[in-house]
Formats: sequence, structure tokens, C-alpha cells
Amino acid sequence: MAYGRQEVLHDVCLEIRAGTLLPFIGPNGAGKTTLLRAILGLLKPRCGVIRTPFHRSPPGYVPQQQSIDPLYPVSTRQIVEMGLFPQLGWWRRPNGAQRKMVDEALERFGLAGHAAKTVGELSGGMRQKALLARALVSGAEVFIMDEPTSELDEQSEKEVLEHFTRLCSEQGKTVLIAHHGIHDAGALAAQVCLVNHGRVRLVSADRMRADMADSKLERTALL
Amino acid sequence: MIAVFTSLIQSFPQAVVAGLLVASVCALLGVFVILKRVVFIGITLSEIAACGVAIAMLTRQPPFVGGVVLTLAAVALLAYPFENRRIPRDAVLGVLFVLASSLSVLLVSQSGFGLQEIKALLYGDLILTSHADLCVIGAVFLPALLYFLLFMRPTLYAFLDREAAYVLGVRPALWEMLFFMVLGITIAAASKIAGTLLVFCYLIVLPTFALILSRQLWLVMILAVIAAVAATAIGLYASFTADLPTNQTICVAACAILALAVPVGTVRYVLRRFRKKEVA
Repeated sequence: MAYGRQEVLHDVCLEIRAGTLLPFIGPNGAGKTTLLRAILGLLKPRCGVIRTPFHRSPPGYVPQQQSIDPLYPVSTRQIVEMGLFPQLGWWRRPNGAQRKMVDEALERFGLAGHAAKTVGELSGGMRQKALLARALVSGAEVFIMDEPTSELDEQSEKEVLEHFTRLCSEQGKTVLIAHHGIHDAGALAAQVCLVNHGRVRLVSADRMRADMADSKLERTALL
Repeated sequence: MIAVFTSLIQSFPQAVVAGLLVASVCALLGVFVILKRVVFIGITLSEIAACGVAIAMLTRQPPFVGGVVLTLAAVALLAYPFENRRIPRDAVLGVLFVLASSLSVLLVSQSGFGLQEIKALLYGDLILTSHADLCVIGAVFLPALLYFLLFMRPTLYAFLDREAAYVLGVRPALWEMLFFMVLGITIAAASKIAGTLLVFCYLIVLPTFALILSRQLWLVMILAVIAAVAATAIGLYASFTADLPTNQTICVAACAILALAVPVGTVRYVLRRFRKKEVA
């Protein structure tokens, strides 16, 4: 995978089973975002094939950066409703059940009292929560999230990670999450995906924890 | 006042209808032009349309066709995704603006047209709207309005969050291209009668007024249209009674309306800050 002539990732061979929660870890600029963007279809691989089930149901996507311009006069509720687009299409309005789903998603992320506020009126953390709620209402089978908790406080981060872990274990959803916290990532799943030096490999969380205890992780994964 | 308006409508019915149509549709599209942060596209496409009209007149082709062909060619160029490129879209717009403005003047200076024709071509004059112009405006604007209202959701999503929209099944490149094509054709049709300045005024000044006053998209769009219609009515009235140039009078009326919104927006901003402080 490359941006122009700059190759970011090469020889990637990765199979992710449905119902897995897989954290992607690695230093800044290692290619975590590139890999997730490629899986989403936003970036075409220079060679090779990426097979996804997204033709059946689009993934729930939470981008890394604040992707919505605060100039837009759209409310938090409208942003969350955007996640319903695959069901609503161009013209249909949300029905009672869909509106309830939006209400629940807003409630879950503590945005119920901010539903009428525009993007410009939300704090960075609230905007990130709105994007999480948008992904949640899409009813996706696969969630792809790029540093989804980078703007959240510690408590909110814990709640969000717990929620998506439950989605995975109780409802069999697949969750791919680029995460900055190596310690948290090891605690989230049985396996983690290490991205570094243009290479990608799956490592068991136990081994990663052992490496961390021996301070070998810096040598094996992050340097 | 009503007698003056009645007299105005009786004397220049085409100008009134065309003015209101151009005002409404341009103001509506202008809301998205501002939100997309491509304000410069309005004036550039107007200049390109004027240049196309000049070429068409020189080659004895229908002016609208010349304007549309050149504008759509520019739209095709501007549809290229500049987001991650070294040269921003604004720089390309600037180059096209300089080229189109200069070329229009050069072409008409070599044409042997009279001063009035040159002025009408470069600056437009709403009051001179003919029946044929009105037919073109109607044929272009009503489908443009219908397109915009029918496909507002995918267009909004493509503009609001390009990548998320793509993932959700919207094709942002397609919807952006369609929006700019509709914008280009609208501007090409409007430029012949309204001129570059007035088209730009409708696209920018009145949507700005609406964005200051409201934080709901539907309300912003409705306010922009109402303000554009009001500016046109006030401008036509003042121009008719005081014998002033029509297009420029409407532009001044639009700016006066915008000026009214500034104190309201400022008070609202201060109150919001105050409330935030109270909550904190």
C-alpha cells in the first residue's frame, strides 16, 4: 500500500475472523491508518486483493481526525442519523424504531442533552462520541475505528472500549481498532496486530505482555 | 409603493420573474458553496461563463451554449480531488479567474461590439431580460431546483464527511461533480442577464446572512432564499424609482441586509459565550 511513490506497507497477509476484536498498535506513522483505510476501500492497494463483507452491510467507521467541518449547521442528532443512510437511502425519513435507536445511541454516549447542538458547539470529545454513535446506529457487522478514544477522558475511554468489547463478545460483531495505548490494547483482545516498518503481523496478547515485562516490545515491535 | 411595484411588474415582467428565480436558486446553491468553503468558485465560474458567452457571440453561436460548454469544462477540471495535492483548488480557481476575466475583455475588444453590448456582456443587466432569456432561465433553474431538493441528502453527506459518506455507500466524487455541474449550468444561465457581480452576490452575500442568523440547515436555506428575494425586490424598486443601475443596486441592498444580521449574530455569540461561562 502506498501514497504516491511512498510505500507504506508491503507483504501484508492478514485474515481476520468474524466476531474478533483486533487492536492495531504501532508507533506514529507506522501505517495503522493506511491499513484501516485500505480495508475500508478508501485506499486501493498497489497490488493484491482485500476481501471484505462490506457489499452485504457497510462497516461502522469512526475516523481518526475531526472529519466534520464545524461550519456546517447540522445538529448532533443529524450527524448520528447519517449512520442510517444505508437503510434510509436518498429520501426516506427515519421511522419510530430508527429514531429510538438514535436516541439510545445518543444516550449511551452521554449526548442526549446535546442532540440539538451543532458540530461547532461540541467539544472535541463530544464530537468523537457523536462519530461513535453514528457508527453504532448503522447496525454494522464490522466496526473500523481509528483512534476512537483519542479525545476522550479516561472514564469515557474505558466505557467506550468496554461497550465495543461487549458488542464483540455478546453480538459477534467484528471490531478493528487502531489504538495508541499498548497496555490497553493487550488487555482488550487475545491477539493484537502490530504494524511497524511497513510490516503487519499478528501477535498474541500474552506474548506481547511478556515482551512488555521484559521490555522487549520496544525492540521487537515499536522500534 | 405598491403602485410603483405594479408599474415595475407591468413594465419589466421578465426582469422581475428572472430576478426572483436567479435570486432564489443561486442563494440556495450558495449555502452549499459557502459550507464547502469554495467561495471563489462562484466568481470564477461566472467569469468563465462570461468568457464562454463572449466566444459564442464572436462565433455567432447561442450565448447560453458557449457559457455552458466553457463552464462545464472548468467544472470537470475542478472536480479533480485537490485535497491531498500540493496545489490547492483555490490556486487553480485563481488562475482560471485571471485567465477568463482577461480573455473576456480581450475577445470583446476585438469584436467590434458597441459599448452597451460590451457592458451588458461583462456586467449584465437584469432589466434588459428578454423573453428568450427567461425561457432559458426557466428551463435551467427549475430542474436545478428539483435536483437540489431531491438529492440534498447524498450531496450534504458527501460534503459533510467525505470518507464516512463513501463508507456508507454515498459516492462523494459523483455527488460533488453533479453539484458543481448544476452550479456551473446555473451560473452560465444566470450570468448572461445578471452578470458576474450579481450572481456572486446571490451566491455569497445572502447565504452568509442566513448562516449568521440560523444554525439549522433547512432554516438557513429558507432564510437565504427569502433574503435574496427581498434584496431583489428592494433593489429593483430603488433602481426603478431613482434610476440607478439595477444589478449594482440589488448588490448594495443585499449587503445592507447582511449588515442587519451582523449585530444579531454578535449578540447571539456574546450570549452563547456568557451561557457557556455560566455552565462552566
